[in-house]
Amino acid sequence: MSDLQKLYDAILDGDAKTAAAVTKEALAEDADPMGLVTRYMVPAMDEVGRRFECEEYFVPELLISARAMKGALELIRPLLAARGEQPVGRVAIGTVKGDLHDIGKNLVASMLEGGGFEVMDLGADVAPDKFVAAVEERGANIVCLSALLTVTMPAMKTTIDALESAGVRGKVKVLVGGAPVTPQYASEIGADGYGENAISAVALARQMVAQSAQA
Amino acid sequence: MNCKERVCAALAHQEPDRVPIDFGGTAVTGIHASAVAALREWYGLAKRPVKVHEPYQMLGMVEDDLKEAMGIDVTGIYSRKTMFGFPNQDWKMWRMPDGLEVLVPGGFVTTTGANGDILIHPEGDVSAPPSGRMPRDGYFFDAIVRQPPIEDEQLKVEDNLEEFTAIAEEDLEHLRREAAAAGSGRAAIASFGGTAFGDIALVPAPFLKHPKGIRDVAEWYVSTATRREFIHRIFDRQSEVALANLERIHAAVGDAVDVMFVCGTDFGTQASAFCSVKTFRDLYFPYYKRINDWVHRHTKWRTFKHSCGSVERFIPSFIEAGFDVLNPVQCSAAGMEPRQLKERFGNCLTFWGGGVDTQKTLPFGSPEEVRREVLERCGIFSRGGGFVFNTIHNVQARTPLRNIIAMVEAVHEFNRAGGAETRHS
Repeated sequence: MSDLQKLYDAILDGDAKTAAAVTKEALAEDADPMGLVTRYMVPAMDEVGRRFECEEYFVPELLISARAMKGALELIRPLLAARGEQPVGRVAIGTVKGDLHDIGKNLVASMLEGGGFEVMDLGADVAPDKFVAAVEERGANIVCLSALLTVTMPAMKTTIDALESAGVRGKVKVLVGGAPVTPQYASEIGADGYGENAISAVALARQMVAQSAQA
Repeated sequence: MNCKERVCAALAHQEPDRVPIDFGGTAVTGIHASAVAALREWYGLAKRPVKVHEPYQMLGMVEDDLKEAMGIDVTGIYSRKTMFGFPNQDWKMWRMPDGLEVLVPGGFVTTTGANGDILIHPEGDVSAPPSGRMPRDGYFFDAIVRQPPIEDEQLKVEDNLEEFTAIAEEDLEHLRREAAAAGSGRAAIASFGGTAFGDIALVPAPFLKHPKGIRDVAEWYVSTATRREFIHRIFDRQSEVALANLERIHAAVGDAVDVMFVCGTDFGTQASAFCSVKTFRDLYFPYYKRINDWVHRHTKWRTFKHSCGSVERFIPSFIEAGFDVLNPVQCSAAGMEPRQLKERFGNCLTFWGGGVDTQKTLPFGSPEEVRREVLERCGIFSRGGGFVFNTIHNVQARTPLRNIIAMVEAVHEFNRAGGAETRHS
């Protein structure tokens, strides 16, 4: 039986090769794929997040662990789909229209994936109707909007307005983030939350899912 | 005091007659072309299209008449070629997506992407893949990452050194001319290039036609942890080339230059840092020190370090590495409280920036909020010299003109109110 603690350690250390090898071995031994995710991979990414928060880890370490997580997850995902397993939540994420900056957005996407969410990455310079389509057609229940430029921040509001006009605003929680964005701005434009960094975005998304479940 | 004396006094940590001002001296202390056009109109200057001298961020040239009108004390000396590898010459008309007509260099050659985006090509060569993209209704370019597949065994240090070569004679001649033209009226800050260690804006090399090596932004960040020895070898060779170039540049420009822009690598994020102090000291510090030590031993230039974000933890190392000037002094970032910064580091470091927030106050505040922030920052940072007024990074597109005017007026108001005398009372 493979030592699954190694999967946890490999993700924490950003060792993609070992993470994939242990996952393959475990799956070959009929390990429960959902169990691998919830008992080893998500806790490993949570620990990565904790280390980032207390500044033991920085952006490079976050990227490296997220890559290891992603590699392992790609092996598991088809099995999860085949078994009809449901993700924690479905997130549509993108950098808003007019803005091409995607490093922060990519980090948030990776960390959300690592947190057990299904992530639809719509890319950068994303028009509001694409977010609307992700909600209407692909069942996103969380929309994450990123902007790096002061000139593109207003596109966050335009996107929220588009969700409203399409009649789907009530179905989704909208989270915003990016260097010039503040909690105050988030509240002014009617977003449901503001994430200061990739780690707080995951915590916030989990909180939103929990709130929706209670509602 | 003339402009140059004023800036030099501030750099020497003596209180000048008034707070010196920079706009347009570097690619991180500039003004977006659309705002330059609005300012020219406001001041009633000669009607002519603004020259975009830094096409990546679409910065407008702050010409002498505008400098005069705004009371600017600094002039910038730039390398001959832009971020997209073509020289700043053969100006031609170009219409920005918002309709403003500006002048761009002849090498500014664009094509249209499938979704209407504006694609710009390195060295103006459309046979090379585009290296920059501006959304069809955008205001700035962003680099297009052209990352060849990476095989670790095949990685060569030389591939990441293509842009770091001996300075060409015509580039040297250009610097010589620019320095001579800078004259003695205004302080001169020079961006020679070649001394940015791992600046993430330069890693994708939008100026190269077919960049090789590690050119993807995320891959570069990862490499600082996983391929550290490789990065050390790049920096080591890069600094050797830079020192050889600096020797020739110094021989050409001499002491006409007052400040040298060394590096724009960002170490801070809004709330934290891109790396630990330990990593900084291992990976960056030795190369910065090598450059700064050479400059201080051989020239009268002061050295300028740009880093956005929360960098308070790095400042003691910046000082130890020999930096004289810190920019943009992002007071809104964690740990960057102006009074604390001035108190702790004001004796050793000149704060070049920090004058007003460009993420919130300047673009979104009222003119009165801008005025109050500028007066407060001038009061804090100007005490005992060591301060050159500038916004926190470039003045962005769509910044309300009334706010820019309120900012400039506030610096003048501060100076009129007696500057240092009043500040101390």
